[in-house]
Amino acid sequence: MDRRNNRRDAEGSSVITANRLLDGRIVWLAADGQWSPHIRNARVYSNVEIEDALKEQTASAQDNELVGVYGVQVSLSPTGPVPVTSRECIRAGGPSVHPDFTPEWQERPAVSPA
Amino acid sequence: MSHAPHSSLPVGHYAYDEVDRTFLKQRVAQFRDQVERRISGALTEEEFKPLRLMNGLYLQLHAYMLRVAIPYGVLNSGQMRTLAQIAQRYDRDYGHFTTRQNIQFNWIKLEDTPDILALLADADMHALQTSGNCIRNVTADQFAGAAADEVIDPRIHAEILRQWSTLHPEFTFLPRKFKIAISGSPQDRVAARFHDIGLMARKDENGRAVFEVYVGGGLGRTPIVGVKLRDDLPEEDLIAYLEAILRVYNEFGRRDNIYKARIKILVQALGVQEFRNRVNAEFVAMDRARYRLDEKIVAAIQARFGVPDFDPAGQAAEKLIQQRKADRAFDFWVRTNTHAHKQPGYVSVTISCKPAGGIPGDVTSAQMNLLADLADQLSFGELRITHLQNVVLGHVRQDKLYALWQTLDQNGLGTANVGFISDIVACPGLDYCALANARSIPIAQKLSERFASPELQREIGPLRLNISGCINACGHHHAGHIGILGVDKRGEEAFQITLGGAADQDTVSIGQIIGAAMSEDETVDAIARIIDTYLARRTAGEQFIDTCRRLGTAPFKDAAYAPA
Ligand code: HEM
Ligand code: SF4
Repeated sequence: MDRRNNRRDAEGSSVITANRLLDGRIVWLAADGQWSPHIRNARVYSNVEIEDALKEQTASAQDNELVGVYGVQVSLSPTGPVPVTSRECIRAGGPSVHPDFTPEWQERPAVSPA
Repeated sequence: MSHAPHSSLPVGHYAYDEVDRTFLKQRVAQFRDQVERRISGALTEEEFKPLRLMNGLYLQLHAYMLRVAIPYGVLNSGQMRTLAQIAQRYDRDYGHFTTRQNIQFNWIKLEDTPDILALLADADMHALQTSGNCIRNVTADQFAGAAADEVIDPRIHAEILRQWSTLHPEFTFLPRKFKIAISGSPQDRVAARFHDIGLMARKDENGRAVFEVYVGGGLGRTPIVGVKLRDDLPEEDLIAYLEAILRVYNEFGRRDNIYKARIKILVQALGVQEFRNRVNAEFVAMDRARYRLDEKIVAAIQARFGVPDFDPAGQAAEKLIQQRKADRAFDFWVRTNTHAHKQPGYVSVTISCKPAGGIPGDVTSAQMNLLADLADQLSFGELRITHLQNVVLGHVRQDKLYALWQTLDQNGLGTANVGFISDIVACPGLDYCALANARSIPIAQKLSERFASPELQREIGPLRLNISGCINACGHHHAGHIGILGVDKRGEEAFQITLGGAADQDTVSIGQIIGAAMSEDETVDAIARIIDTYLARRTAGEQFIDTCRRLGTAPFKDAAYAPA
């Protein structure tokens, strides 16, 4: 992954993200250890502890059917973590030019039953 | 060799035979197997990535992105319907036409990709050569086979080059990607001098094709205008000479640094004369007979292209004149969105995919299906995608234009802005692209809304506005009269303005950055002030680019950075 996204200040906090292997969708590592499409569920790590967590998640990425695990620096808001860069805000919320394509966007089954 | 009668061939593009179809089916089966092995974990992401890229599949910001090839931008109505079906069934109901005459789908699932490729193969389509360090999709004039000023239909040679380059063993692992464009009219509509190789075809005194060959042009991080290597390359040497250029590039091009790997860097490093000498040395040493492009081969390829069976002109032209008189809005659309055809009674139509406030190049599946229907009814079932992200119906009878325009207008495709400021070229930018610094689409939407008034646009006149979300320049910002480049200011999006770029052959130039980056809204305001300056300072008959060249960038820079 792009090195730009791994820029983290020593005293900041971050969350862990990846793309799902099968459909490419963005997911965030949640407090319960599951990968969620919603950043609001993401577990927040201090930038000191995140390196170990990243190593661990990178090692298990294939088992979890994930690609491109990396950390994203966030600030904390009442609604949950908010990435500090525009790029990661767009990843978390969906393309700004399609307000309907949020992570909630529900897909129809690829092949609809007859 | 026997050929099917013309009427059974697809108009405007090469008819596949069983060999082509079998090959595509094999490639789909191969990729299906690779995807299965990736999902099972037998292939790691590092092993799989080059394989998926060879099949046009990228991992972008939100999902996988599939880039489907549209060779020289031409497709038939059935192929357009296949694209619509993919958009509807496997994506979020739309696709994005690109500056390389291809289409991108933004929400593709890895697990669906083999099925999508199979669907494409059923329509004689694929995603090969849309990625990786190979010879990419050859682009051609969007008015090929139609333009009144055309001397040679460039699609025939584009197809010959496609066949030569597809899977050419030597050229699958070039130092870097390689892009070729070809034009068959003296008016360059393909930006020949911004390509790795640009070809301008004309006829010699015996009616055979000869080529002007430009090499080493490109945009991106290091924008360079291509230089002329040959003025009069005979058709029979076309393959040999291009092979020689590629061999020199393959041998001497840099592989140690991705930013210095394009052929333009090699041409600059060696100097044109030395580069030419090396190409010539390679060329004379080659087994020329083996690479000779025989007239018979050209004729055989040409015979696989269907040609339109035109109706007599009749009263078509007169009827159009009356309709234009009766409806001013229609008249304005005809002025901007049509192009002179070689066949009396016909015109080519450019359908704008740039409505005010819209996303440049995005088309819904419903629109794709409509375009396919219109192509069947009005243009021999053939469509073209332009490098300016619009769609062309090549051969429309003049007396059918009015009804066409009305239908387009009812479906959000009737904007009369081709060549104007709101006919914006924009890459996907940070809304989709993993490499982006800034979003290209929202600023394009703001600008096209700001300048939406048809009267204002006509007053401003011809103007190219191009936007790229990063220095890779997929939106060709350096080639725009006004260019916008997205940059990253400590995690925040910002934009630089370039002025004075142009891609027309005689006056080709690279836009120059006028100053420090600004926010999105500041940039929109700055461009409005730049336009005001042009309107105030232009002399009679001057277009924006002329005024820009006459005055230089200083007055525009002053206006752009004037305190609000
Ligand atoms: C979203 C996925 C895309 C990615 C990851 C991507 C990546 C790149 C990169 C890395 C380059 C620079 C290559 C080099 O100079 O060697 C490039 C160049 C280019 N891209 Fe894209 N691109 C994307 C989408 C597009 C789209 C949508 C278009 C058309 C609108 C496009 C058209 C081009 C063109 C024409 C160039 C050549 C500029 C030149 O002459 O050097 N790309 N792209
Ligand atoms: S110019 Fe940059 S942001 Fe735009 S598509 Fe190309 S790589 Fe992505």
